[in-house]
Formats: sequence, C-alpha cells, structure tokens
Amino acid sequence: MTRRERALQTARRGGLVTVIALVGLAVVYVRAIAFTPIERTQGPAQKIFYVHAPIAWATMLAFAVTGLLSLLYLTMRDRKFDLMAAASAEVGTALGIAMLTTGPLWAKPIWGTFWTWDARLTSTLFTFLLFVGYLVLRGALSDFEVRARFSAVLGVMALVLVPFIHVTVYWFRTLHPDPVVMKPEGPSLPAVMLTTLLTSLIVCTVLYIGLVMQRYALAVLEDVREEEEAGDGIS
Amino acid sequence: MGYPENSGYMVAAYTIAAVVVLVYSVTLYFRVRRYRDR
Repeated sequence: MTRRERALQTARRGGLVTVIALVGLAVVYVRAIAFTPIERTQGPAQKIFYVHAPIAWATMLAFAVTGLLSLLYLTMRDRKFDLMAAASAEVGTALGIAMLTTGPLWAKPIWGTFWTWDARLTSTLFTFLLFVGYLVLRGALSDFEVRARFSAVLGVMALVLVPFIHVTVYWFRTLHPDPVVMKPEGPSLPAVMLTTLLTSLIVCTVLYIGLVMQRYALAVLEDVREEEEAGDGIS
Repeated sequence: MGYPENSGYMVAAYTIAAVVVLVYSVTLYFRVRRYRDR
C-alpha cells in the first residue's frame, strides 16, 4: 500500500469517527437541553457549561498534543510527528473558536460582562493566538525542514502554557470557576449533571480524534504532492 | 423558586458551537475529497 493509499484510508476512518462524534454531540445537546435540570441560581445559561467545558478540554488536549509531538519531532526528526502536530494545532484552533465564543456567552448573564482580562481568560486567549501564529507561520514557509523546525519550537513553547492555564484559577484571583471534575477531591456535581458533562467530554474527545485523523491524512496527501512536484517520487 | 431567564444565551452558545464544529468538519471532508478524486 502506498503512502497516499494509507492516508486515504486514515481519512475514511477519521471521517467515520467524526460522524459518530457528531451524532454523539447531537445526543449531548438533546440530553443537556431536555433531560438535565436547570440550575437554580444561574438558570438555562448554566447549560452552556456542558458544551463550553468539553470543547475547552478538547482544545487544550489538542494544544498539549501539538506540543508533545513538536518535542518528538525536534528529538527524532521524523516528519510524521511534524504533520501530526500541525493537524492537532489546526483542529485545536478550530475548537478554540468555539471555546472562546461559548465562554463569553455564559459570562454575560452570569458575570454581567462578556469578557474580563483575568488570568484564566487572558492566558487562554494568548495561547489561542499563539496557535493562530503557529498556523500562519506554517503557511508562510515552503521548505519542509525549516517549517517543521520553526513551528515545532513554537509548539513546545505553547506546551508550557497549557498546564499554566489549568492552575491559573488557583494561583490568581480570577472570576473563572474552579474545575468541577479535574480536582483532587473528585467531581462536585449532581449525578445527572455529571453524566451529561462526562458524556460531552467523551464526545468532544472522540470528535478531536476523528478530526485529527482526517487532518493528518490531508497533511500526508499534501506532503506526497509536494514530494511529487519536487520530483522525489517517494511513496 | 424561579430561575433567571437567560435561555437566549444558551441557544446562542449551542448554535455557535454546532456551526463551528459542522463547518470545520464539512470543510475538512471536502479538502480531503479534493485529493481523493485525483
């Protein structure tokens, strides 16, 4: 099987995983809206949490994976890691748009403002913009080795920010709520709400995997074409 | 006890999240298909 055929197979599998995740997302929507009780003090806006938090998780997972794969590329110089890192970065940036729009839509009715420049929000926005820069950088460089090396350095630098974002709610005075699941004493939500949240977390993780599989396959197909155009003909 | 009426924000957030995810998924599908059909 050629490299192109393997990539097309990965794309088909990724597409299937994505469709499963999208059906799962529809189920999460129905469960969250119709079968999860309305929180008494925050009202219906609290239900944004079931979408915002899992998408934020998937975004941070994407950014962390990009950083780790960048680190692997810098140590092993295998172009597979660079292509995977780029795939994860693009998916993370797309999910980041959803994260950065759903968050303010929850904040407005609860805090009275769409945005505040506190540590959690600012560091999240800064990391998102770093990944936008990562993608712009990749688009601006045509030489594979230079593009891979420069973007890997940026990916590793951004990796440092992901755990920092997680601890900002503990280290700084911030309006952003503390974690309700990922904390030492365990989740602090009623069972029905926790089930909706965990279902959404699983769905968003599967969605991330499906999208990355497709985007990685696309990156390989682009790479094969670049090689063919350069006259290498490696397959 | 009643709760604050802010369902419009929930609808907006759910809609935007769905649109972002669907648009990116569909775009990605067509980007891959362009290579598949060659």
